[in-house]
Amino acid sequence: MLNAFRLLLPALIPSWNFFDVIAPSPRVEYALTSAKDAAPADWREFRPRPERVSVPALLTRLFWNPRWNQTLFVVSCAERLADNPTDHSQDELFRRIAADLSPDLDAAPWLSFRLVFLSRQGEVIEREVLFQSAPRPLQDIDVR
Amino acid sequence: MTLEAAARLTEILLALALIQQGLEHLRGFREERLLFGARTILCVLLILGVASPWPLVGLAGLSLLILHRFQGPYNGGSDRMGLLALWCLTLSRLAPVPQWKELAFGYLGVQLVLSYFISGGVKILNPDWRSGRALRDVFRFSAYPVSEALRGWADRPRVLRAMSWAVILFELAFPLTLLSRPALIAGLAVAALFHLANACLFGLNRFFWTWLAVYPAILWLQARLF
Repeated sequence: MLNAFRLLLPALIPSWNFFDVIAPSPRVEYALTSAKDAAPADWREFRPRPERVSVPALLTRLFWNPRWNQTLFVVSCAERLADNPTDHSQDELFRRIAADLSPDLDAAPWLSFRLVFLSRQGEVIEREVLFQSAPRPLQDIDVR
Repeated sequence: MTLEAAARLTEILLALALIQQGLEHLRGFREERLLFGARTILCVLLILGVASPWPLVGLAGLSLLILHRFQGPYNGGSDRMGLLALWCLTLSRLAPVPQWKELAFGYLGVQLVLSYFISGGVKILNPDWRSGRALRDVFRFSAYPVSEALRGWADRPRVLRAMSWAVILFELAFPLTLLSRPALIAGLAVAALFHLANACLFGLNRFFWTWLAVYPAILWLQARLF
């Protein structure tokens, strides 16, 4: 309970420094492998953005936007994990990636993810991998 | 607007905002469905005015469990404003004397003003914001634009520089709107459009509803002070 009050404190005494600096931005990528010790090769971006979103869809999302809000939570977990690794952040990322995958994955039952951070150096956007998880069997990840 | 009327309107708007968020969680994992299902029921009781102030107290208690569940806010700033509003309303309802009730609710109004003013202050101190570079970076590589097509805005530096200054100047000038009722109402209307734009461009729909819910607090505070 003490921890919950510690988490509440920044809400009761807010800093309001939204976007004060544009920090390196995480992208979550995942890979599936057939064995625990197989090196992940086929990295895929978790929930890539659509090319376009229609105006009606934008307005609908004012009222119903669960997938995007969950994606923002995934971004928060990625930032937390790079800043201060915890089992909680890692578990959340595993659960939310696994929940998006097709249930028929017998051929590649091991899931890994990595965090690629994008930042601008001069005019160039650079990518840097700041975290890569150990593989985890999909069947051990609770997605209910 | 009396303190009672403003606090009641804030309660109802906040409850509606929390119900909107809660419904989104009902398609989540089991423990999320339990937490947010309970929160939605308490919000309905709050709107109906049943057993006041206990639904507020229950929501405040539940907010600690939700913070523990996600080890922080689920959606950053918007959840933090929701928590601030919830705890200020709860403390105002539970306060034994009128002055303390006013203090707790007035604090919420002050924080709403600061949410704009400080945001503008930190931006104007940053040369990247003054040049429009920061907003270009937001569109170019941040996680927020809702589509790839929006990233093309990064190639319009003059537009983004003008947008940056418009946001900075509006945020810094917001406290001046407290000087008159029509100015405050106009300022809140512009702010609502700003949140609407953020909701459309960056998918930040929770900011829109949560900030709107707090507007009665500043309307009451302005009438109380000026």
